Amino acid sequence: MKLKVLTLLACLAGSMGSALAAEGELSIGTEGAYPPWSMSDASGNVTGFDADVGALLCTKLAVTCHFVVQAFDGLIPALKAKRFDVIISGMSITADRKKEINFSVGYAELANMFVAAKGSDLAAITDVDTLLKSLDGKKVGVQAGTTHAHFLEKRAPNADLKTYDTLDQMQIDLASGRIDTAFADQSALQDFLDKPDGKNFQLVGVEIKSTYDPTLGEGIGVGIAQDNTELKAKIDKALCELIADGSVGKASEKWFKTDISRACK
Amino acid sequence: MRPERRAHALRWHDKTRATQMEFGLWQVWEAGWVTAILRGASITILVGLVSMAAGLVIGIVCGLIKWARIFPLSLLVDAYTSLVRGVPELLIIYLLFFSSVEFVTKVVTAFGYAGVAESGYAFVIAVIAIGAISGAYSTEVVRGALGAIPNGHIEAARALGLSGGRIFRRIIAPQMLRIAVPGINNVWQTTIKDTALVSVVGLQELMRISFIGANSTRHPFIFYLIAAVVYLAITLVSQAGFDGIERLLRVRTRK
Amino acid sequence: MMDLIQLAVPVLLKGLWVTAALTFVSVLIGFNLGLGLALMRLSSNRFLSGFAKYYSNVFRGTPLLVQIFLFYYGLGQLSSIKDNAALWWLISDGARCAVLALALNTAAYTSEILRGGLMSVPVGLVEAAQACGMSRMLRFRRIEFPLAIRQALPAYGNELILVVKGTSLASTITVLEITGYAKRLMSQTFAIFEIFAIAGVLYLVINLLLIAIIRAIERFLMRHEASSGRDLAAPQPNRSTVGS
Repeated sequence: MKLKVLTLLACLAGSMGSALAAEGELSIGTEGAYPPWSMSDASGNVTGFDADVGALLCTKLAVTCHFVVQAFDGLIPALKAKRFDVIISGMSITADRKKEINFSVGYAELANMFVAAKGSDLAAITDVDTLLKSLDGKKVGVQAGTTHAHFLEKRAPNADLKTYDTLDQMQIDLASGRIDTAFADQSALQDFLDKPDGKNFQLVGVEIKSTYDPTLGEGIGVGIAQDNTELKAKIDKALCELIADGSVGKASEKWFKTDISRACK
Repeated sequence: MRPERRAHALRWHDKTRATQMEFGLWQVWEAGWVTAILRGASITILVGLVSMAAGLVIGIVCGLIKWARIFPLSLLVDAYTSLVRGVPELLIIYLLFFSSVEFVTKVVTAFGYAGVAESGYAFVIAVIAIGAISGAYSTEVVRGALGAIPNGHIEAARALGLSGGRIFRRIIAPQMLRIAVPGINNVWQTTIKDTALVSVVGLQELMRISFIGANSTRHPFIFYLIAAVVYLAITLVSQAGFDGIERLLRVRTRK
Repeated sequence: MMDLIQLAVPVLLKGLWVTAALTFVSVLIGFNLGLGLALMRLSSNRFLSGFAKYYSNVFRGTPLLVQIFLFYYGLGQLSSIKDNAALWWLISDGARCAVLALALNTAAYTSEILRGGLMSVPVGLVEAAQACGMSRMLRFRRIEFPLAIRQALPAYGNELILVVKGTSLASTITVLEITGYAKRLMSQTFAIFEIFAIAGVLYLVINLLLIAIIRAIERFLMRHEASSGRDLAAPQPNRSTVGS
């Protein structure tokens, strides 16, 4: 009965289409727990590469930025529900996600890598196929809902996959020895290696590029609702300009010590 | 004295990093987590109270329907209560959070709260989810309490020519509330504990704050221990409150 | 939709076995612990009864999620646990850790239910047994325990359902049971409602099955009485109150 009333209200509310939910403001959904892309503190401030990209984008579009922090696997459902205008959260552009939402041009790209204990058998492997095969029966940590998770579900079906809501939880389990290895993008793993917890670990010397398997996506893009073509056009244009003038590259140098920006075509 | 003490704490911290045992209450206090935890606890209590109120309203309506066996509606109520009580709370919260986001956003917008939707949003979802769960349990409590009212009382009131509304207000409601107090206490305890589950969808309540603290400082033990203590304090204090209410009602009936 | 069901059901059924196993082991351990705690609570030794009371209040006064996180992430951090092979075996694995938390949690509720059952045994019967010269052990086995169980069964049935529901929290510490698989499927297909609906149905099926089993046991125990129409589904939420 209560539901009926609510449904009625929802219908009344209808959709009042505009490129942005609120005029003059771009609300950005981000994970806030994925260093150095997106980190949030107890008071809710967001910092990191994606926060900088968002800020650059907002300046370019002459709007104010407003960040909404949300678990990674809930970002797409929330965007579809118009809880925010865009997703900027190190999200890879993949065919599966494109069925649900639209993406801007890619603004960055990173290699995907494994991390393992120093001196372990895994750490010595140097080619992708041997690596994927040797994951059989191993406990492999991965973040829920990411391209990394989908990639492993497909390419390493016999691995004992442990999925985590946040990277932090995965790192805690990696450090405590609950999992043998973890798969993520290079920057996230480097962040772990730089912490005291990561001192006994190393990157496995195999870079898995998105060209290896389309599940890994076509670079990192800004997620936009499918029906919001107006906003996509604006963001594509702004991003291309920001990449061309080196602003994105500069932000990347700040957070990754290297330029991971992706050329705009 | 403070800076010195802090330097000492830090040095000590670095030295014994490997054991990770030294991270104690002092560090939690210094990093400002105590205020964050208290803020989280107040949100937990707020979510609990609002959900409980919503649950009681649902419970009284559905409980009356079930008790009076109002035919097609009672079937719906049966479906609702068995569904909520047979399916894990976590699943209900995921479902509501991930699938009905659109719907809630629209409702919130309809009421003109688009601007505050962000902070209010997780709260609204939490209250809907926990309220629905609490409501299902309250329904059973209310129905049980209604069933315990002697039929003769209602028949006598009818014989005196009291109207339906008056019978409910004067005869049914006061007795029902009194009988239902222990049951409501149970539902409240369950409700306040269930609020911990909405942390998984990002509402910054007690559990979520502890989760963030545990992850960012890498000291889960102390943070979850603090969370447990705060929850225990909340449940024990409310238990004492309910004991008081029960005593009060007992005294009044004896007069 | 058919495609989705074909994709989701086999995966979720894999999770169903894990959920069932978690429930079974937790209940097995939790019931025995709970019985022990109930006896301690009723003992005249103040230390024993005090311990049982505090145990029950602490576990019933805190959310299961906090307990699970405290055991998994909290204890997993302590080097004293990591250095102890047996403890680390228990804590290192998500499923074992979930069983530990669930068993300790349900033990607290079980102890309250069984205590209620034991207290309902008429003193006269126990005295009669004493008069017959039955030993304490025999008296407990033949008289008190069977009567208490009969009394406690409906409430215990509700507790079992709560344990089944509680196993869903294991998904938060990497265990792939029904909810864990459902979440994974959700992030692959984005068919949120359908996936969670199927998962919900599986839980309902388990719980209905449990109710049927408990009813059958109840009928068996009550076979001496003509009418045994106690309604298992109806009573109030049994998560009884903290304190006494």
